[in-house]
Amino acid sequence: MRRAAWVGLVGLAAFVVAFVFLLAFSLALPQIAFAAPPIRLWHAYRGDEEKALLEILKGWQGGAVEVLALPSDALDSKLASASLVGEGPDVFIAEHHHVGEYRARGIVVPVGDAFEGDAAFIEPAVRALRDGADMWGVPLSPKCTALFVNDALVTKTPEDIEGIAELAGTLPPGVFPLVYEARNTYAHAALFGAFGGELLGKDDQFGLTGMGAEASLALARGFIVKGAVPDDANYNILKELFKAGKAAFVISGPWLAADLGDARDLKYHIEVLPKVRAAGQPMRPLLTVESAMLTKPGAQKPAARALAKLLASRESAELRARVARSLTARADVPIPEGDAMLRAFAEQAKVAVPMPSSQAMQAVWEPANRAISKVLRGDAPPDVALTEAKRRFDTVRRPLPPPASPAPFLIVFGVGLLLLVLTWVRGARRGDFTAELKRSKPAYAYVAHSVLAVGALVVAPLAVGAATSFFAGNLFGETASRRFVGLANFIDILTAQGGSLLATGSFYVVLLVTLLWTFVNLFFHVTIGVALALLLSKPMLRMKAMYRVLLIVPWAVPSYITALVWKGMFDRQFGAVTGLILGLNELFGFHMEPISWFAKFSTAFTANVTTNVWLGFPFMMVVTLGALTAVPQDVLEAAEVDGATRWQRLWRVTLPMIRPTLAPSITLGAIWTFNMFNVVNLVSGGDPDGTTNILVTEAYAWAFTREAKYGYAAAYSVLIFLMLLGFTRWGEWQKRRSEQRERELRAKEVTA
Amino acid sequence: MASVVVRDLHKKFGETHILKGVSVEVPKGSFAVLVGPSGCGKSTLLRLLAGLEVADGGAILFDDRDVTRLEPRDRDIAMVFQSYALYPHLSVRENLAFGLKLRKTPAAEIEKRVKHASAMLGLDTLLDRLPKALSGGQRQRVAMGRAIVRRPSLFLFDEPLSNLDAALRAQVRVDIRKLHDELGATSVYVTHDQVEAMTLADVIFVLNKGVVEQAGHPLEVYARPKTRFVASFLGSPAMNFVEVELARDGTAWVAVGKNGLRFPFDGKPFEGRLEDGMKTTLGVRAHDVEIASSSSTYRTTDSQSVPLGVTLVEALGTESFVHGTLGGSSFVARLDAQTGAKKGDTLDLWFKSLHLFDAETGVSLRKEP
Repeated sequence: MRRAAWVGLVGLAAFVVAFVFLLAFSLALPQIAFAAPPIRLWHAYRGDEEKALLEILKGWQGGAVEVLALPSDALDSKLASASLVGEGPDVFIAEHHHVGEYRARGIVVPVGDAFEGDAAFIEPAVRALRDGADMWGVPLSPKCTALFVNDALVTKTPEDIEGIAELAGTLPPGVFPLVYEARNTYAHAALFGAFGGELLGKDDQFGLTGMGAEASLALARGFIVKGAVPDDANYNILKELFKAGKAAFVISGPWLAADLGDARDLKYHIEVLPKVRAAGQPMRPLLTVESAMLTKPGAQKPAARALAKLLASRESAELRARVARSLTARADVPIPEGDAMLRAFAEQAKVAVPMPSSQAMQAVWEPANRAISKVLRGDAPPDVALTEAKRRFDTVRRPLPPPASPAPFLIVFGVGLLLLVLTWVRGARRGDFTAELKRSKPAYAYVAHSVLAVGALVVAPLAVGAATSFFAGNLFGETASRRFVGLANFIDILTAQGGSLLATGSFYVVLLVTLLWTFVNLFFHVTIGVALALLLSKPMLRMKAMYRVLLIVPWAVPSYITALVWKGMFDRQFGAVTGLILGLNELFGFHMEPISWFAKFSTAFTANVTTNVWLGFPFMMVVTLGALTAVPQDVLEAAEVDGATRWQRLWRVTLPMIRPTLAPSITLGAIWTFNMFNVVNLVSGGDPDGTTNILVTEAYAWAFTREAKYGYAAAYSVLIFLMLLGFTRWGEWQKRRSEQRERELRAKEVTA
Repeated sequence: MASVVVRDLHKKFGETHILKGVSVEVPKGSFAVLVGPSGCGKSTLLRLLAGLEVADGGAILFDDRDVTRLEPRDRDIAMVFQSYALYPHLSVRENLAFGLKLRKTPAAEIEKRVKHASAMLGLDTLLDRLPKALSGGQRQRVAMGRAIVRRPSLFLFDEPLSNLDAALRAQVRVDIRKLHDELGATSVYVTHDQVEAMTLADVIFVLNKGVVEQAGHPLEVYARPKTRFVASFLGSPAMNFVEVELARDGTAWVAVGKNGLRFPFDGKPFEGRLEDGMKTTLGVRAHDVEIASSSSTYRTTDSQSVPLGVTLVEALGTESFVHGTLGGSSFVARLDAQTGAKKGDTLDLWFKSLHLFDAETGVSLRKEP
């Protein structure tokens, strides 16, 4: 026994050493593996702009550069998550207004000597990136939207935007007078700007309120009602419509010009945005300055700083102007003669409003987007929607809870620890303790490595996450306002921040939605799964094997792929469901309207449920199939002889007999559905207005889209965990109680 | 209670022809046993009577009512399965009440019948238990109770004692017969155990390879088997068979076999069926032999004894089974315990009674009465 124990211990030690070594090695690999690791450059360019960037890099002499191209929203989220683990880029290209948020998250640092100096750049660009004495990025290219005009459809641009809208009816059928991303706050800001409004007011207050904002929204809604503007165009739709000649005017930025590069036969030109008659002022789009920024590790590398400097240099600016026709932020690069597009954008930039880079700006988008969506759908009047938006903004921006003293918690924790130790000591005092310990040594050796693995991979993150819930504020970064707040986060959540318990976005509303979600899904999972299993277990069915495989496929395909495919199918404009409706209309002469799935709670919820049911029924089916094999044939025959019809046999014999097997599966299914993040996030994304959010997606939003409130989100997660724990414990308790009852009954009989 | 008539029933499973034209008549109120070796089709026949299988040809009539195509629930039958087939999720009381509940019997009636059956079978203390908390014998009784409460026209038993231990089997066998008599029921009982068949049956049907080889009262079938198979199937130990040739000796007949077997016998029971030089199988039951001695009552003039070479003696106290060879075949004789036979001895035996079967077809050569 002894020898085996020693061997076990040595083996364990060797494993631990190897594990630690591998871990350290892999973490240090980037640094030690290569003499000079490549500089990592991330960007969100496409088309000609990407071409320009790569050409610039061709002239770079300072060592290897690893370039990563990402879609713009992916760039944002990848930056956040990668920087947390030090896997982020050294240099990245993003729009200037993100600086505030990145600063708060500790992602970026001042660029230092990568900035050539004030004189080299135009003033608005420098202003957008400066804070005090520090430059937080090097300006590359100012971007704003302007008016694209399809020359084949119109010869003269009307004086104001109302005039453009009035063109409706005079254009060929199916052609919109104006297409812009109406639901997008960024695009709407141009209209709002004509009324003199700014998205972020003084002292970082919510700016989209007041008469001007309401007027701009009423105007936009008017356009949609008139049919002059499509109500839910996103960038892709806008691009396709313009390319196909279905839009006379579109409002978009130089990125559209880059993307239109391949549409050779499209005749268009670019102008400054028109006036707004109702405001008497021209539209004022937001100005964003594309900049190269440095991350903390990047700023420490001279080569990275030099690369950033190169990207903003005169030569690069000239190259970009030539290859990608992008406007430059440099003061010393003239606009190429005869380039009407660049001239138009340059003119527009003069009246554009630089997007605020305050961290508060981050909190503007979600409420503003929702309010605009609501108004444009006609679900609410502008004043109601905007009041709601301001309330949401204030909720996210509200001051952090005051720091609390950790003393009471430490005391409780300490006492708990003490009690634990005391019980251990008491247990150890037992006579046979050392003998038992010795006997168990080999067992400990066997179990040790899995305990370590589970501890490191499961328990530790759980504990850290739970601990995070006791903190608030920015947990990382230079503006670390991290503070211990005790149970303040939990109290905030459970009291719905002092507001009405049933206001939208409150914990209880989301909990109700989650419970409804879980229940409805489970119902369909179980009924469909059991029904299919019963069908598949019929010996008469041919090609059973083929059906079984086909029916497993939904479960086998990764859930996020499924979710994205279904989301596409539910798209009102291009989705397969709409196609089905239109097809049925044609075939049977119905007049069904294509449904805008994500415009209403009921339809968005249905879309989510459909996707999740498709995903989840195979699990129930497989479990039921297994359970059915355990139902003996002769019991069913006995029931048949006793007089049961097929339905009665199913209901009174088969189902009760498989229930004990189904019960744990249903519990599992309930927990998985309760926490089904992928489907809700990817299919409806919480639309409309976050009403279809379930608890996990709400927690995610708090952590990753609403100003990094990690503590708050962690508290959400702890609450979810406690609820599910309670649920399973209750189930256990029920089972134990019924077993106890049965045992008592039997005991009574024996003594009777 | 119903009578059961089966006419020329056929049943195939895929290519296998299980029942090849079976006809059976069970009078009202009688206890019929279907007996035969594995694979003979007795269980299939029972399941066809129950309606759990559909016949490929032929007819089944309960009391002149054609039920061949009826569902089990419309046949007014109750069945006791070999594995009892109790509903595992229901208590004993609920098991008993199940069929009645399905037919919407009023609760008071259900209560009465359940009480009655429970008293009959001694289940009163077990009513609230689940089947998993019962012993094999108890489960058996619940299965029977479940059939009894239904008060059907016909009871069907599918080898209900096979899963019980030997001691219990004997006891429950008696209980089943008693129950049948008390209820005045018509029962059809399937078993492969010929002891059960002999003790329980009012009428016995011996099946082999999908046909009924013989039907009749157990003692009748025992004493006058119509085929070699039936003769060998009933009786324990099994009937001894010896290949012999027949020879005439004046008016008497002699069975001549190997190893000096030469036994004259009375040809009257076989009148008209015997031929000189015919090859037959001689069948003698173990208890139909006697040690040859001058005081034997079966001795006829000119009779000769038959030698048995003893190879093994099983002494049971009251009797002994003496194994050996006779006429070149193995032979078992049941003799008094006092014979004092030992291995290696040669005993001279008389046959108190014998059977003759055609050597090829196995059909009995006994004259039909």
